[in-house]
Amino acid sequence: MLAIETSNLTKVYRKKHLTRTALTRGVEGLNLSVDKGEIFGLLGLNGSGKTTTIKLTLGLLRPTSGSVTVFGERAGSTQALRKIGYLPEVPYFYRYLTAKEILSLYARLSGLDNVAERVEHIIDMVGLSQKRDKQLAEFSKGMLQRIGIAQSLLHDPELLIYDEPVSGLDPLAMQEMRTLLLKLKSRGKTIFLSSHLISEVEKICDRVGILVKGNMVRTLEQSQWTSAEGSLESIFISEVADSAETDRMKL
Amino acid sequence: MKNILSIARYTLVENIRNKIFYVLVFFGIIIIAASLLLVALGGEQQIRVLLDFGLAAIEFFALVTVCFAAVNLALEEMQSKTIYLVLTRPVSRAHYLIGRYAGLLAAVYSGMFLMALLHAGLLVFNGFEFNLRYPLALLLSAEKITIIGSVALFFSLFSSSAISSISFTVFFWVLGHFSEEIRYLGNKVTYLVPKIVAKIAYYTIPNLQYFNLRDFWDVPGITGGWIPAAIIYGMLYSVACMTLSLWLFSNKEF
Repeated sequence: MLAIETSNLTKVYRKKHLTRTALTRGVEGLNLSVDKGEIFGLLGLNGSGKTTTIKLTLGLLRPTSGSVTVFGERAGSTQALRKIGYLPEVPYFYRYLTAKEILSLYARLSGLDNVAERVEHIIDMVGLSQKRDKQLAEFSKGMLQRIGIAQSLLHDPELLIYDEPVSGLDPLAMQEMRTLLLKLKSRGKTIFLSSHLISEVEKICDRVGILVKGNMVRTLEQSQWTSAEGSLESIFISEVADSAETDRMKL
Repeated sequence: MKNILSIARYTLVENIRNKIFYVLVFFGIIIIAASLLLVALGGEQQIRVLLDFGLAAIEFFALVTVCFAAVNLALEEMQSKTIYLVLTRPVSRAHYLIGRYAGLLAAVYSGMFLMALLHAGLLVFNGFEFNLRYPLALLLSAEKITIIGSVALFFSLFSSSAISSISFTVFFWVLGHFSEEIRYLGNKVTYLVPKIVAKIAYYTIPNLQYFNLRDFWDVPGITGGWIPAAIIYGMLYSVACMTLSLWLFSNKEF
């Protein structure tokens, strides 16, 4: 069974002004399949549709047309969400709650029974045992990122969706994140991540999809960027440049 | 139900750690200062003024709190994006919104209860003979707050701007105290359009005069059928507002 499947997925944002409605295309006709147990990277420039695709997969946005399923369930349904752990690009938390309180809240909302035990385990795992009773307002950016990771793993989900997981991290934290993702993959988890940091993506992904202006222009297997065809960066730049050239020709 | 309780619990903690206690301290200072001034008046007047002033102040502070907090209940979470990590869990949007609203009401009711304890203490200290009308007056104030909270929540989901939502809620709150006048206007006016507008306003704006027991403190037998009817009316109005809010929220995108 596929972990994620999109079929002809299109999202058009409508912004109403006083006299007119502005239409912006988020993604268009996206056909994507993510296999169970793989690490799939979504590559694209800023505004290419990566976050839109993720939000559609999570049910935070609704498709204008087409469909998304997660392990065969409709995206956004409680059955689908039960299997997902999500880490947004910048994890925003209730800053007046302590680390223990916020993780307990997420554990309860995820339907866990052994909340206290699970929260203690996950706090230890991300190395925040000494800070468990501190309010998040006192946490540094790196510590908040650890809470973000902890909340995504709390309920031991089958699919992890990470939006720009290494964006803004220092080299050491980046390496820790890479090690964690590979460890999760070895445990059979499926990981769907978005990034514009090609060097990181090529180190860990089994496959990548290149998004340009809401269109999936190419999907690559790891062997294609490790073989003679060239580095992932050169392939990516060539695809983005081709798309820009096509746009210029149309004009 | 478990999800609603979890969400209500963190909303209660949020409100207590953020706002309610500051309002309570402020109110406490005012009421104590006012009671010291009222002592100077002496006689029977002192207790009556302290009673009316205290009940009005409890309601006013609770209304201000519920108005601002309800408008920001979902709006703030949408703007700060904290909502992402809740709605990407197996939690229905209806459970989320009901939990948030219940938590807010619990926080405001707790604040009212503490303010009322302080107020009742001052009243008894000044020789007030405690009777059932005091808790009933508070109960009806709480009902008014429940209505205004649901109205504010509905407007916040409808307009997506805190200032306009607060303005609409205050507008409803003010007009809600003139329901009988609006009905009178609707009956008296002869032109069709103003008549229809007055009728629509009368039936859509909550009649908040039903909840002002303190205005009829000395009228004998007033509490009989009125209070249960007011409570049922308040509950139905709040449920109707919440139903509309749930419909708006279920269609929202983040």
